[in-house]
Amino acid sequence: MIDLKKYEKLAALNLSKEEKEKIEKDLEEIINYFEMLKEVNTEGVEPYVYTKGAKLFLRKDVPGKTLDKKALEKNRKLFDGKFYKVKKIMGD
Amino acid sequence: MEIKNLSIEEITKLTKKGEVSVKEIAKQTLEYIKEKENTIRSFINIDEEKVLKDAEKLDGSEKKGKLFGVPVAIKDNMNLEGTETTAGSKILKGYISPYTATAVRKLIQEGALIIGKTNMDEFAMGSSTENSAFFKTHNPVNPEHVPGGSSGGSAAAVRAGEVTASLGSDTGGSIREPAAFCGVIGMKPTYGRVSRYGLIAFASSLDQIGPFARNVKDAAVMLEVIAGFDPNDETSVQRTDTDFTSLLEKEIKGKKIGLIKEVMDFDLQEEVKNSFEKTASALQKLGAEITEVSIPHLKYSLPAYYIIAPSEASANLSRFDGVRYGLLVEDKNLRETYEKTRTEGFGTEVKRRILIGTFALSAGYYDAYYLKASRVRRLIEKDFEKAFEKVDTLLTPTTAKTAFKIGEITNPLEMYMNDIFTIPVNLAGLPAISVPSGTDKKGLPIGMQLIGKWFEESELLQIAYAMEKEIGG
Repeated sequence: MIDLKKYEKLAALNLSKEEKEKIEKDLEEIINYFEMLKEVNTEGVEPYVYTKGAKLFLRKDVPGKTLDKKALEKNRKLFDGKFYKVKKIMGD
Repeated sequence: MEIKNLSIEEITKLTKKGEVSVKEIAKQTLEYIKEKENTIRSFINIDEEKVLKDAEKLDGSEKKGKLFGVPVAIKDNMNLEGTETTAGSKILKGYISPYTATAVRKLIQEGALIIGKTNMDEFAMGSSTENSAFFKTHNPVNPEHVPGGSSGGSAAAVRAGEVTASLGSDTGGSIREPAAFCGVIGMKPTYGRVSRYGLIAFASSLDQIGPFARNVKDAAVMLEVIAGFDPNDETSVQRTDTDFTSLLEKEIKGKKIGLIKEVMDFDLQEEVKNSFEKTASALQKLGAEITEVSIPHLKYSLPAYYIIAPSEASANLSRFDGVRYGLLVEDKNLRETYEKTRTEGFGTEVKRRILIGTFALSAGYYDAYYLKASRVRRLIEKDFEKAFEKVDTLLTPTTAKTAFKIGEITNPLEMYMNDIFTIPVNLAGLPAISVPSGTDKKGLPIGMQLIGKWFEESELLQIAYAMEKEIGG
């Protein structure tokens, strides 16, 4: 049985009772299904990171265009043109 | 002139000569969509005024571009400046894109008329479009059945004739599976071929944008338009071999096509199996050599995928906290504001996957799950490498079964099984295409998947084109 509460906390979720029951059951089943991977011998196998042919590159260090602040403002009332204003994060 | 069944080539011939105005196309398209949407519901959002204005602008422009005046739809996880982009989620309701995704910008540059944003499973998590936070989309072939997913709206819109072509995104089969279920062409390019800039991320190492169309040639034109290097996507590849149409009509005699023998270990619907065999012999008739190959780790791709994709998703979706965009449910402090916003904003499947990912990445489990899955992913890539030493292309059914009924599958694992033949392709970063190949007893479409070598889309499309001609869709 996985400790769902712990993962809810990590993922900033707070499930309702019904949702918790449903997801808990599904998760058990899905995680059990993952056990199948134990059959595969992966000793000495490099984990997959990048797709074949992919070459990571660096852009030239020159300032480019940024998004229009007005467009960002439209999306969030917490944005005052310079900063995002949020509820306090410490103390009471 | 009715444009709803015309190809890209036919439409652009008319629009470039001025025989049909783009405004006329816009009007016809919008009217037809109104008629169709009562039953299909492909679209989340259509801004009619904008479509008509864009059409007028095109009419007043120099008549050029590979898609001049062609009505195209885009999946609602792609940003288009000034329009609402929700990714099928309540958490993004009301979000107005401040910029345009590169793939969409390229369509517009070639004269495409963007009609609207199509329905999808929330954050592209699903195989039926039943997970959209807003409504379900119905399969145009039989509205009691799902259109597949997650790009179900884009597939249905093309099948129903609402648009000529559309864009979807494919993380584990989200273009190819709905293409198979709706009986249209759906293509996932090689990872890195098309820029992901402006695509709302689900699993960044797997996501790729690709086209839906009613024929292979249209899909090739669409891919030609959207492919190419983009400095805004660090995984975008710097290649210039983006001619996907010149080879189409060349014969495929002598091409080596591999049948993956492990496919037969799965429970295939009778008609799908027959169609698979029929397709293989049709290719043989065209002069292709058919051989059997093995992808020994095929069956492990599903568990590996369901660790890797949710892990990446749990990180990608952490940005949805109510601060910068979309839904905000305020509570007494910031932490509780985050929790309330996310709990109200995300649907059950999204929460399920975020939790799987959070679990797989957590201290104590990371090695056993995420790292293990990444090693298995490497083995799957190596299986394909080996197979491609012997053959040019691989053939599998796109799905083991045809479209199921809306509401028929409720168990998540059973739903995940739909993507068993498409997922390995994403894990290895390969290109693949689903081509219609007949129907089952109930008249539901069957799709065959061709998988190409890395960056060999041109050859892949060539074989798909020949196959389409021979088996006739």
